Amino acid sequence: MHHATGRECRFWWAGLALLTPLSALAEPSLDELLREVERLKERVEQLERERVRPVPAQELNLGLSISGTERAVEAPVEAKPTAPEVHVGGALRFNFVHRDFVEASDGKRGESGLDVFRLNVEGAIDNILVSAEYRFYSYMHTLHHGWIGYQFDDNSQLQFGVHRVPFGLQPYPAHNAWFGVPYYTGLGDDYDMGIKYQREDGPWQWQLAFYKNEELNDSTSAERYSFDLVRSGDQQNEETNQFNGRGAFTFGLGTGCETETGASLQAGELYNHITGRRGDHWAAAAHLDSRCGRWHVQLSGIRYNYSPANPEGMNNDTVQVGAFAGTYDVASRADVLVANLAYNVPSPWKHIDSITCYNDYSQLFKDDAHSRDSRINTLGCAVGMGPIFTYVDYILANNMAYFAEGSMAQGGDNEWHSRFNVNLGFYW
Amino acid sequence: MKRYRSRLLLLLCMLGAHSAHAQQELNVVSWDGAYVKSQILGFIRPYEEHANIRVNVLQYTGGIDEIRRQVRAWNVQWDVVDLELFDAIRACNEGLLEHIDPKTLPDAPDGTTAQDDFIPVSLMPCGVGNVVGSTVVSYRQDKFKEPPGRLEDFFDLKKYPGRRGLRRSPQGNLEWALIADGVATEDVYKVLSTEEGLDRAFRVLNRIKPYIEWWRTGEEAVRLLETNAVAMSSAYSGRLDDAVQRGEPLAIVWDHQVWFYDVWAIPKNGRRTEQAMDFVRYATTTQSLAAQARYIPYGPVRQSSMALLEPELRERLPTSRKNLRTAIELNAGWWSENLDRIAPRFERWADRPVMVPRKLPR
Repeated sequence: MHHATGRECRFWWAGLALLTPLSALAEPSLDELLREVERLKERVEQLERERVRPVPAQELNLGLSISGTERAVEAPVEAKPTAPEVHVGGALRFNFVHRDFVEASDGKRGESGLDVFRLNVEGAIDNILVSAEYRFYSYMHTLHHGWIGYQFDDNSQLQFGVHRVPFGLQPYPAHNAWFGVPYYTGLGDDYDMGIKYQREDGPWQWQLAFYKNEELNDSTSAERYSFDLVRSGDQQNEETNQFNGRGAFTFGLGTGCETETGASLQAGELYNHITGRRGDHWAAAAHLDSRCGRWHVQLSGIRYNYSPANPEGMNNDTVQVGAFAGTYDVASRADVLVANLAYNVPSPWKHIDSITCYNDYSQLFKDDAHSRDSRINTLGCAVGMGPIFTYVDYILANNMAYFAEGSMAQGGDNEWHSRFNVNLGFYW
Repeated sequence: MKRYRSRLLLLLCMLGAHSAHAQQELNVVSWDGAYVKSQILGFIRPYEEHANIRVNVLQYTGGIDEIRRQVRAWNVQWDVVDLELFDAIRACNEGLLEHIDPKTLPDAPDGTTAQDDFIPVSLMPCGVGNVVGSTVVSYRQDKFKEPPGRLEDFFDLKKYPGRRGLRRSPQGNLEWALIADGVATEDVYKVLSTEEGLDRAFRVLNRIKPYIEWWRTGEEAVRLLETNAVAMSSAYSGRLDDAVQRGEPLAIVWDHQVWFYDVWAIPKNGRRTEQAMDFVRYATTTQSLAAQARYIPYGPVRQSSMALLEPELRERLPTSRKNLRTAIELNAGWWSENLDRIAPRFERWADRPVMVPRKLPR
């Protein structure tokens, strides 16, 4: 660079030497000479600028530099091409399980297998957002969520597609990997197809949403991640035209002790494919979510009601839900209680980044006086170690789906069953 | 017309001469905010005029990684660097810095040699001291009815609730933690040298960890206080003085201030070493150091510079008698030997969440 500009300078001086006798012949006017001087001054300054340009701007990080005489940085800082800020991630998880209510599991002293392989896309280009996750299980594969969004200047957000329903404790009503009653009744970590607007005003959070239907637009399929009403046999109801509203206020926002309290409402229709009529459903929740130092408390009370437009004579006291390629019935009208407690244990080990221990309890209080309630309690710890994250859970359940003859609808069994579950995953 | 031609040639010759001089420049690396402003106004601008040179001032946040990278690659763009003393010792031991002979430094105006004029510790084989800086506790005056007055108050969340700002580095923080836990000032480094002592310091920091906001530059510390993001913060005393002059409701707790030296150093393998040396000589004259202190109240490391300062200004320096009563000197020698051992542990500790994460991986 220096040699090149040096050569260029010498060329200019030589040119000037030639210029002088020529101008003498032409006898230029004073104005012409002054203009010539001005032009040459500009050219010399231009060459000077090129000569004093140091190393490439990016290397010197001149964005952080200031000239002692506060002159403008003369080296042009070329704008880097904007790289799309869309990232691909994922996880691979395995389960190690012992179920005391499955003879083979007990006899083999446990079992293990693939839990899930998932791929994620998250990102934003300008103000347009995208988020998607696809999951592969050994028995099904499905879209977990997928939406396109817009980030407004006031940081509020609009999401369109399959996204999390804003209801109750967010993002999850549990700490453990197995979750609890809200999830298995479709009222926790639920994803549907629709549009959602969310905003934060200081300590206030607001979310409003409308869902046209469940996430797959195929209510006959139970190959889905989150629980919804699904159709099979006599049960031919599906969720549609659902409205959600959620508001929350955080006390002590930005401090080491934040307590969020909030309320949620959900109301929608249930279309029955046999009768062609629309029933309705609604749910309401109040929650408290407090992170104080190393402690975390979650409390929630939920009331829900499904009123399907079934054919005459059919039992309206239960509805059928499905996910993970299976279905079961739940009570049509019930209350749900959630009480979770967690503590973040300081890790004494160099390679263990985090240890969160918890006890999550939830219960389904069915309206039908003759039905046994359903309960689930999970005691466990989640351990983070670089990209490896492991849940070690001891689950005790009474009359819960997936536990022996447990039923979240009517009847069921009165036994407590256990599942020891180690879920080990690599996340990237 | 001949007259015009001769004028034109004269003008072009002058322009040519000017262009030849303007080629020279120097990259000086320093810190941010009011500190670098004090250097620019105190002696960098005058040096540009004095040496007819352009000085590019680059900002950084400390450490020697970049110097190591440049020196080892023989691609040195940082001609002069303002280093914390412990970093200068480390870089010197690694052979990354030019040796500077103190005999080449200018004498004081009264003829006192530089070696006698400088505070002894501030002259080291690879660096020349410029200021005595200080890290102090600061707080917003509108936050507390009873203002904090002791270092222990920084760790007392019951009496003085609110978030705390701390520099994201172990230096100073571990010393404060031990002192707040009852360790005598003179025993701090003895205790920190043991694993139990280190554990003890982290245990004390654990008490306030959920409330900590980390900062990396001196400007960030002041901004945390100015914007009410924290009720108390560690901060460099000179930056606070600047903020107070601007009318910010901030106050200083001088109790157990941690004072330290900054030094000028010249990375090896540079192309402008002689010019860099000339800059260091200029920047550390009696007048330059005194001029800087007038823009930021840090103690100059030359006794002759101190003598030039007004009594009122001397009282505001970290080195004034009343501010030094319980002060602790950052042990640069100790940190130069222990930083590589402690810094990774500190980073791990700082990274680990205190609160239960809002979202565990699913």
